[in-house]
Amino acid sequence: MSCVNDENFLAVALVINRSRDGPAFVFHYPSHVPALTNGHEKSDVIDVEDILFEQIAPPSGAENGPEPAEDGGVRDDHYTTEAGVQVVPWEHVAGFPARDLAYILTPARPYHKKIFQLSLDPLLCISYPIHVPENGKWKKTKKANKEVDDNIAPDEPNPPPTSKTDSNPEKTKDGKRDESDEDKRSSMTMFNLVFFLDPKRHEAKELVDSLFSNIVKKVNKAYQYSQQHSEFVWKESKRILAAKEKAREDKKKMSALWKELIQNSSLAASMCEVYNAISQNRIATLHLDTVDGILTPSVQIPVPFFVADLPAEDDERHRGLWLTTSNAFLSQDALEEPGFLDRNFALLLMDDEKKIIAELQNDRDPTTLSMIEFVRLAKPTVSFYQVGQSNILTLDQVRKYAQHFIFWRRAIAIPPLHPRDVYIVSPNCDLERLPQDAQDWQRAFPLAPPLSTFLAELSVLPRPYKHISPSKAHRPLYLRMLAWLMRGGWVTQLCTFAYVVVWPEILYEVDYEMEAEELGIATSSVDGGDATSIHTTQENADAQSTHSSLASPTQPQHPPQPPHQQQQQQQQQQTPPDAHALSQSPSSHGPKPSTTTTLSAAEHSAEMARLERIAIKAHREAADKATAHARKTSPVPTPNPSLNDAPHLAGLTPHIILDPKKAAGKESRYLAAIARRFRDDKLRSGWQLLCKYFDGRCALERIALQEDMKRKEAWALLTGMREYLLLTRHW
Amino acid sequence: MILGIFYARFFPQEGPKIVAQSPPGCITASSSSSGNNNNSNNSNNSTHGNNNSSSSSSNNNSHSHSNNSPLVDFDVLQEYIIPRQAFCNRFISINSPDGKYTILGFPVVIPHTKYMRNEFIFNFGLLVDAECDQAPFESVVRCLAETFAEMEKQNEYLSLSEAKGPEDDSMRRPIESLLEIVKEDLNNYGECMIPVDEANIINMKLFPHHATPPVVKGWHVPVARTKFPEIVDPTWDITLQKVVAKIDGVSDVRRIAHEASVSLDLAKIAIRHLLYYDTILLLDIFFFSSCYAPRPGIHDFIRNVDGIVDECAGYVSHGRARVSNYLLIRFMASFSPGKSIKEWIMNHRDNGFELMSYIDIRRFVQFGVIKGCLYRVHKYVVSKQYLASLATGQSRPLAGGDPLQKYTDGCHHMDQIMTEQNLTNDQVMDRLKMLPVPRGDITVFYR
Repeated sequence: MSCVNDENFLAVALVINRSRDGPAFVFHYPSHVPALTNGHEKSDVIDVEDILFEQIAPPSGAENGPEPAEDGGVRDDHYTTEAGVQVVPWEHVAGFPARDLAYILTPARPYHKKIFQLSLDPLLCISYPIHVPENGKWKKTKKANKEVDDNIAPDEPNPPPTSKTDSNPEKTKDGKRDESDEDKRSSMTMFNLVFFLDPKRHEAKELVDSLFSNIVKKVNKAYQYSQQHSEFVWKESKRILAAKEKAREDKKKMSALWKELIQNSSLAASMCEVYNAISQNRIATLHLDTVDGILTPSVQIPVPFFVADLPAEDDERHRGLWLTTSNAFLSQDALEEPGFLDRNFALLLMDDEKKIIAELQNDRDPTTLSMIEFVRLAKPTVSFYQVGQSNILTLDQVRKYAQHFIFWRRAIAIPPLHPRDVYIVSPNCDLERLPQDAQDWQRAFPLAPPLSTFLAELSVLPRPYKHISPSKAHRPLYLRMLAWLMRGGWVTQLCTFAYVVVWPEILYEVDYEMEAEELGIATSSVDGGDATSIHTTQENADAQSTHSSLASPTQPQHPPQPPHQQQQQQQQQQTPPDAHALSQSPSSHGPKPSTTTTLSAAEHSAEMARLERIAIKAHREAADKATAHARKTSPVPTPNPSLNDAPHLAGLTPHIILDPKKAAGKESRYLAAIARRFRDDKLRSGWQLLCKYFDGRCALERIALQEDMKRKEAWALLTGMREYLLLTRHW
Repeated sequence: MILGIFYARFFPQEGPKIVAQSPPGCITASSSSSGNNNNSNNSNNSTHGNNNSSSSSSNNNSHSHSNNSPLVDFDVLQEYIIPRQAFCNRFISINSPDGKYTILGFPVVIPHTKYMRNEFIFNFGLLVDAECDQAPFESVVRCLAETFAEMEKQNEYLSLSEAKGPEDDSMRRPIESLLEIVKEDLNNYGECMIPVDEANIINMKLFPHHATPPVVKGWHVPVARTKFPEIVDPTWDITLQKVVAKIDGVSDVRRIAHEASVSLDLAKIAIRHLLYYDTILLLDIFFFSSCYAPRPGIHDFIRNVDGIVDECAGYVSHGRARVSNYLLIRFMASFSPGKSIKEWIMNHRDNGFELMSYIDIRRFVQFGVIKGCLYRVHKYVVSKQYLASLATGQSRPLAGGDPLQKYTDGCHHMDQIMTEQNLTNDQVMDRLKMLPVPRGDITVFYR
């Protein structure tokens, strides 16, 4: 996500280690890496530098020579110092002698396939060192090859055509014999493609993370693959080192040598591509010309194409991006649901359709024909699922091509555009582009209103897009205009999110019902002569006493008890119904008559009397409960529960169900109670079906797509349920 | 948190070696300074790069008093602790292969003929967790390098202690205990002040590193996050004091500058300073005519994450009764683009809720903005003619033309025009109508 550019990404360098000759600095790109001045730390180190200035003249040593400090190391030709030392321009990189860099950048085996992050203030080097396997042979057995193959670019949906001429045993054997002599003398024990960075302090971590996982690791792995299969890195390194040695003798200019190397060595060329592409935030396509064929892995730092929430005012990196929660709000369930993405997303090409088709036609690969077909079919108004229904392409093809286009940044996936949906000017749009885009807009749609007028139209009052187009005949054009605006991040869809509201009337009804059910159980047990009963009342005591006067008393012999007393008793009554046997803990009731004969008859009768008292009390309470319940107003369904302001509902506030999918216990009863309120059968069954979307994460606009319904139908249902929904709208 | 601190030296015969460390055994297996000999043998072995050294050191470890095994492998890392000379005299950090730790160091070379091989190479380094913010520790490492390099040059503090051994110089603190104090004080207090000898004191403090705050604009409204009256004292910068006194959560920066009799630019700098220390928030100017709309953070409000609704109730209620959570949620969720606060209030009034008598509307809106539930929908004015001239590159600001023209490129919202021109919304709109442009050239849009 971090922004890599040529200010914080300075260079790439390949360093190898050899069994006999030791480390070597093979190649770096760009050719001139200036020494960094210690910019951002100045104030801290003034004193330190005072000391260090005295030592800055390097200890006398024939080879160190004068530092090319005065020109920042940017020199193209060789020169000879007064002492007669030849200074070779490529032997200083970023202000350091390349020879020393070679030593410090060839870490020991513990760093094999680990992140290696060395800061030589202010230069920051990161890499992913690759060592030769412990057995000293780069070549892997057949079995292992497969595994590595997958590793090259695991994120790349369309693995590049790795045209491998299947190992020609004789040829490789011959090649081996030729080089075996040389390999005996010295061979490569490790290589390391190092990335030189100069990050600003606050961005360092993010920069390292994104560069390491997306680029450093993958390129080094690709090199490892080529090395394992055809000794590519070692062979190329030897060539480059030899060429450099020769150029040193010939005093060849650095620019000439570098040009030559990049032309002749596909390894050097690949490093050049990595630097040039990645520092411009493009996709780097390597071209490794190995003996076994050409390898073309590609790497990139994925660019974000959307943000879920408004970025901070000063966050320029995310300005102008498409603002949407359609990706961020996806739950794991949704992602796992087969077909979810196909139904909810469509392809929006980031470039002109004709231009892309023309480019595809240039390529004579057999798959391009169906790809062209895909580009023609996949409109931003048509979901992938619908494209798959066209019988021209299978859904698998559609998915594959869509991923291909998205990987290559030629398209993004968006929820299908629809004239009934509401689109607003995106609060994240990049207004600095307005003058230019207004001009482009005019060119693309000469007859349409000017861009600023159109944006004003969209932003004044959010309304379905179709109301903006003057007639039905204009709609296809207006949808193309909408796609254009989406592409530029000018607009975003205004979606509606819902939660279920349970109105007091429903709350009361469900509580009343539950109480009645419990009393039903209790009464039956009382009738059966059992001494105890349970009841848990959810009703608060105040409400009960207020409304008791309204109720018609059926058992007036027990006056309502004061609330605090009642509560106490409730607590006592929280024991299970067959408390007789179970809840009497031995400690409170003493030894039982059957087990101990020492218990006197008096004690026994006292115990019995006590139990009887408890039973009577419980009985009375149950009766009280029933009375209280009976005195309550029985729930009366009204046609509009939201407007019901009957006095018995006064103490209740509406309840919001956050996720109907997870509703359990009471909440599920609320949902059922709401369902009963719908007179219309369609609405009632619709409620069961659509409930799951009222979790504040699913845009109601997309229900129709998901359920394969007509939009009108879906909206009719939702309108019918409107009273029970809390709505909020954003992108 | 400093996990380890060490003093490493390059010995002409034995190579790089850890001379002192705290806690003992964090870098190389060691007992206290008495075990020095033993220890040097051990690291001597390892410099020859035989693979057995790790096993021998762990062997050694079991015999010695310390039972901590080293956190890192010195054999692997010594190359970065005492690097080649080209890399000396600079701050160097390296991660351990397991990615758990980072070693921060500043290898110093002091060339002088009095030393064997004509140079003295040492490094005072720290071992910290790889995940922690290393910026504060960098200055610690620099300070240690600076102080000890200076002391070595003044009176051979480091090299003499090697020669004599600690017992000869009873006046002086052994380096190991010095390091321990540094580590403990920095970990516990974030600063240390340790006299090393008669002339030198190590003074260090860990300063947290804050990101550069955004630029403050005239139309921003600062809202205090701390109780300024409690922390302001007379030693503060006078301008800052004046500005802080006027921060009330309602006034914009321009107004604050005016009321505090401070120039606008100074007021902006002062407020940015407060922003750097995260003591204020910046909001927009509140008008009943402006429009706010929900953003995805609204769902946290609806779900009452971390009791946010209760917090809101406490902040906005001003009637006799606390407004119920349900109502607050409903109010917050009912903002919408294209609906001004005035209209929003009217809508609720039509539904029978007189919002004004229950909640403080400004506080309610500001609460929503601060918590990321709402965003301000800004109003922009655009002139097509001006846009076209910008696109073709022949921007022609009319000589002596209207000062408002430059605002009509779509990059300046109404708040900016109003604060910079000291006009009200209506005045701006009236003035724009008088611009000498064709009919329908000026459009207004909201974003």
